[in-house]
Amino acid sequence: MNDKEIERWIAARMSRRDVLRAGGGLALGAAMAGCGLGNSTPDESATTREIEPEIDGDLVYFNWAQYLNPKLIKQFQRKYGVEVRESNFDSMPGMMAKLRSSNRYDLIFPSAEFANRLVSANFLLRIPRAKLAAIDDVYSFFDDPWYDPGSEHTVPYSLYLTGLGYRSDRVGAMSGSWRDLTNPEADGRSYILDDFQEGIGMANLVNGHDLNASEPEQLEQAKDYLIGLKPDLRGFSSDTITNMASGNAWIQHLWNGDIINARYRVDDPDTLRFQQNREGVPVGSDVFAIPANAEHPGTALLFIDFILERSAENATWTGYPMPTRSSERPYAELVADEPELQVTVEDLEAGQQFADLEGQAREDWDRVWTEVKAA
Amino acid sequence: MSERRFAGLMLLPGAAWLVLLFVVPLGITLAISFGVTDELGNALYAWKPENYSRIFDPLFAPVLLRSVGYAAATVVLCVLIGYPVAYYIARFGGRYKYLLVALVVLPFLVNYLIRIYAWTAILSDEGLVNGVLADAGFTDDGVRFLNTPWAVVGGLVYGYMAFMILPIYAALDRMDPTLVEAGKDLYGTRWQTFRHVTWPATFQGVLAGSVLVFLPTVGDFVSAQLLGGPDTYMVGNLIQQQFFDASNYPFGAALTTVLMGFLLVFMLFYLRSAGRAAEEARL
Repeated sequence: MNDKEIERWIAARMSRRDVLRAGGGLALGAAMAGCGLGNSTPDESATTREIEPEIDGDLVYFNWAQYLNPKLIKQFQRKYGVEVRESNFDSMPGMMAKLRSSNRYDLIFPSAEFANRLVSANFLLRIPRAKLAAIDDVYSFFDDPWYDPGSEHTVPYSLYLTGLGYRSDRVGAMSGSWRDLTNPEADGRSYILDDFQEGIGMANLVNGHDLNASEPEQLEQAKDYLIGLKPDLRGFSSDTITNMASGNAWIQHLWNGDIINARYRVDDPDTLRFQQNREGVPVGSDVFAIPANAEHPGTALLFIDFILERSAENATWTGYPMPTRSSERPYAELVADEPELQVTVEDLEAGQQFADLEGQAREDWDRVWTEVKAA
Repeated sequence: MSERRFAGLMLLPGAAWLVLLFVVPLGITLAISFGVTDELGNALYAWKPENYSRIFDPLFAPVLLRSVGYAAATVVLCVLIGYPVAYYIARFGGRYKYLLVALVVLPFLVNYLIRIYAWTAILSDEGLVNGVLADAGFTDDGVRFLNTPWAVVGGLVYGYMAFMILPIYAALDRMDPTLVEAGKDLYGTRWQTFRHVTWPATFQGVLAGSVLVFLPTVGDFVSAQLLGGPDTYMVGNLIQQQFFDASNYPFGAALTTVLMGFLLVFMLFYLRSAGRAAEEARL
């Protein structure tokens, strides 16, 4: 093997996502120290700082791994002469844990329902939309989203839906159902996402309930279904791109864009397929947001604009559709033969989205997920 | 300055270190373990002893038993593999002795997490090992090494082996080699000499190694996280999940406290045994 091949071999088998999860635990102490001091929820004045789109330091960037075209980051660094200091999370609760423990980031990428939680906790800075040159490119659908009234604290980043990825050269018969996770042809090589929302949500759909069903007996049913699934699973893992590319996963519960991203890493991209499932398809969106305690909000604002302007390039690299008109065609061409990968704002309107659960329901979901993993 | 006062001063940095980085965090852990969380997941001080009673939900029993089982298996394997290695280095290392010890320690210069992560690439279905097996014609689809209990225990053995080798090596090195000759002079076979001379003389080393391996492996979560499957969940994973996924610091802190209490019992047994052995040696 030459250097290029070795690099590729490693890239196909290792990514940062799994190592992040394990590494996160090593930062436990930091998280504990933060909460020991008894953080209080900031009031609204914390969110109204005036910010201008101009460089005010290096960008401290906190996102999923492999969720933004690295070429664009390099271009941004070169154009403005600043460093983008990247760190990654591997789940929304993981991101929240870091935010809670008083880490300071300039730019984060929460999902809609977590954005909702952060907005109502006064955790996010107001974003002056008028100062973003590329904002007119964004669909007007996002002018007043449910998670952020008036779109005052967030800028939409991407759209996604959840389904099953599979290896067509290994698994012949897929029936278009979530129950394909137990397809005997997968021979114990199925993974589900290590994500409490996606896990329990899927079980709710299979059981014929609403995605966000939270009645105790419905959750009990979801728990039983997931525990019953475990003997056929190889694991819980959100490291989907690596799992598919390394051949460890023949069937993988995943987000639509990851299958496209995984194709860039294998010799036979055509063998990586995606299916939506008839019991229900979770759809959702992620956003850009600037935490209230950000040190360099100006650079963050510039960066948001920079990425929005290049959302076509970003959409085709990440595999996720972006909520801008300019990225519509390039993405549609990318998935021309596979409409099941496409997510539109109409899908968002009509589809099932994860809600920001509150109080007892949220506690119950966390408890059920713990019990599923432990069982 | 009196000798006493000097000794007191010398103790100061160590004591400050322990108080700041051990006693205080432990106190916080203990305080939070009775707490509750707010809507954002922040831990708040409160009085909720249910965090402890929940641990004894029968649901978690397999997790605790599994952790102890994996740790015990790891100790046994470490003794079986580590003892001969230590023996070879101590007896036949010759002038390479220190080099060999350095080689045992060398992997520890790389972070444990990174080393375990490397194993995922080595053991994956289309990874190095399966590549060799496939080339040799043993397998088509790849043997499933990853995501099994074997991989988890293997990772633990690999990760903590040095903690076993070093104390055994030290015990063997300290042991007077003429004792072995004496055993042979008395017409002991190799096995008898080992059984009645070498093993008893190095048993404390084995015990020390076992404790050093057992304590961290019970609470380990990295190996099960990266090499394990859905049925290899350990108590360390459970604790980590409370902090990162479930946003339930209080329950995580309660689990931590109980786990530490459990490990402390083992530690005390060991200290008593070691103390007694030291006393016997003096007699």
